[in-house]
Formats: sequence, C-alpha cells, structure tokens
Amino acid sequence: MMESLRLITEMILQEAKESAEHIIQEAQNSAESMLEKQRQLGVQRANELASSILKKAESEAEVIKLSIIADAKMKAKWTILSKKEQWITKVLNETKNKLRILTQSKEYTPILEKLITDAGIVLGGGELELLLNDHDSTLPIKLDKLARKISEKIRFETKLSLSKEKTKVIGGAIVRTINGKFVMDNTFDDILRRREKEIRHKIAKILFE
Amino acid sequence: MLEALKGIKEAHLEAKKIIEEATAQAEKIKKEAEQKAIRVYEEAYNAVISKAEQEAIEIKRKAAEEAKFELEKLLSHAEEQAKEIEAKAIKNFEKAVDAVLNMLLQPRDE
Repeated sequence: MMESLRLITEMILQEAKESAEHIIQEAQNSAESMLEKQRQLGVQRANELASSILKKAESEAEVIKLSIIADAKMKAKWTILSKKEQWITKVLNETKNKLRILTQSKEYTPILEKLITDAGIVLGGGELELLLNDHDSTLPIKLDKLARKISEKIRFETKLSLSKEKTKVIGGAIVRTINGKFVMDNTFDDILRRREKEIRHKIAKILFE
Repeated sequence: MLEALKGIKEAHLEAKKIIEEATAQAEKIKKEAEQKAIRVYEEAYNAVISKAEQEAIEIKRKAAEEAKFELEKLLSHAEEQAKEIEAKAIKNFEKAVDAVLNMLLQPRDE
C-alpha cells in the first residue's frame, strides 16, 4: 500500500516537473523566436534605407568624379592658355620696345609721315589738326608737303597744322578735323588696340604652329 | 487509507507549486525578451546602416581617388603641352615680333 502511494506521488511530481520544463522551454523558444524576428525586421527595415544610402553615394561619387575631372580639364586648359597668353604678351611687349627704338631712328620720320597722310586721306582732307607726342613734335616734318599729298590724293584742298596738345603715346599721329568732329587715331598704340584681335591671332599662328 | 489520500493531496499541491513557478519563470522570460526585442531591433538596424554608411564613404573615396588619378594625368599632359608651346614660342619669337611690326607699319592694309 505504502509502495503504491509512493509511486503515485512520484508520478504526480514527475509529471509536474516535465510540464514545468516544457513551459519554460516553450517560453524560451518563443522568446528566441521573437528576438530573431525582431532582428530580421531590423535588418529588413535597415536594408531599405541602406539601399537608398548606397544609391545616393553612387550618385554623389559620380558627381565628385565629374567635378574633379571637369576641374582638372579646366586647369589643364588654363595651363596651356596662360602659357600661350604669356608668350603673346611677351611678343606684344617686345613689339612696343622695338617701336620705341624705331621712333628714335631715322627710318621713323617717313613712317610717321605716312601715318599722318593716311589719316588725312581717311578724314577726307580739309582743315586738319595734327597731334603728336613730345618727341615726334620735334621731328622735321613738312606739314605743307603732307597736306599737298593728301590734297592730290583726294582732290580736295587740305591744310595741316600742329596742335599744341601733346599725346602720351609710343609714336604715330592723331589727325582730326579743325572742329574736332572727326578724329583718325593713327598712333601705334591705337593701331595695336584696334587690330588687337587680328594681331594676337597672327602672333599665335606664328608662335605655336 | 486517509494517510494515502493525504499523501496524494500533498503531491498535487507540490505539483501545482512547480507548475506555478514554471509559469512565473516563463512569464519572466517573455517579459525580458520583450524588453530585449527593442534593443535587438535597434542593434540589427544600426549595424546594417553603419555598414552601408561605411560603404558609402568608401564608394565616394574610391571615386575621388580615381578622379584624382585622372586629374594628375590631365595636368601632367597639360604641363607637357605647355613645355612644347614654350619651346615653339622661343623658336618663333623674333619672327612673330617682326610680323607684328610689319602689320603695324602697313596701316593701309587694315
């Protein structure tokens, strides 16, 4: 009788222990499963954002690349252009130096006379006034002779007089009608200025080709 | 007989206590898991984002590096060209000056 009782109570307790273990095991499994689901959910949600982060990075990387290369191309172009510009400027400066030397030589007077005559012809003759720099004003230029030359060329009476006003130029002449309405600037400085595009083109062609 | 029933009743009580304790422990495990769930989600989320951000930095760094390589190549080529330009300019300098002088001293050809 006692033995049967002991077996029954042991069986009751054993069943309870097994149930308890099962309950705990179930809870643990459920907890682990829930945590795994949460982890997967986190990864899934983050992957959506990660994908857009990477897409944005790819696009920004392309912009960075294009920007650096564009900048490099610009710098490369600037390096070449600045080198060319440097040498064109050197040629122009040397030309001005040679013109200054020329104005001190005997060959200059006929050149100046030609510049004056050409300006007078362009203005159509008449009563004209001549403006020179300090140095050129001292040269032995026969204004009457030049006026006659202009008159003959355009068949119109021309008079040339030297203005007291002086120019600050390398050389050459400014000729204007006596009323000041029309002006022909045949100074080296102005010829250089108005023919600059053509001159630079010519220099570049000779220098770099 | 009474003694036997008493023993069985005690065993039942003990069994009930075991089940209640196990149920309480299971509840505790679930609650702890629920609390931990937010952290697990955030950790997993942050790990992926952090990895993506690092990859993004690397993508941009690599692009910049490639572009800088290209930049150096372009600039080096430009320097070479500039040297060639200078060599030609030195050689043709006087010729260019003379050509400009000729242009200036022939104003009628404007």
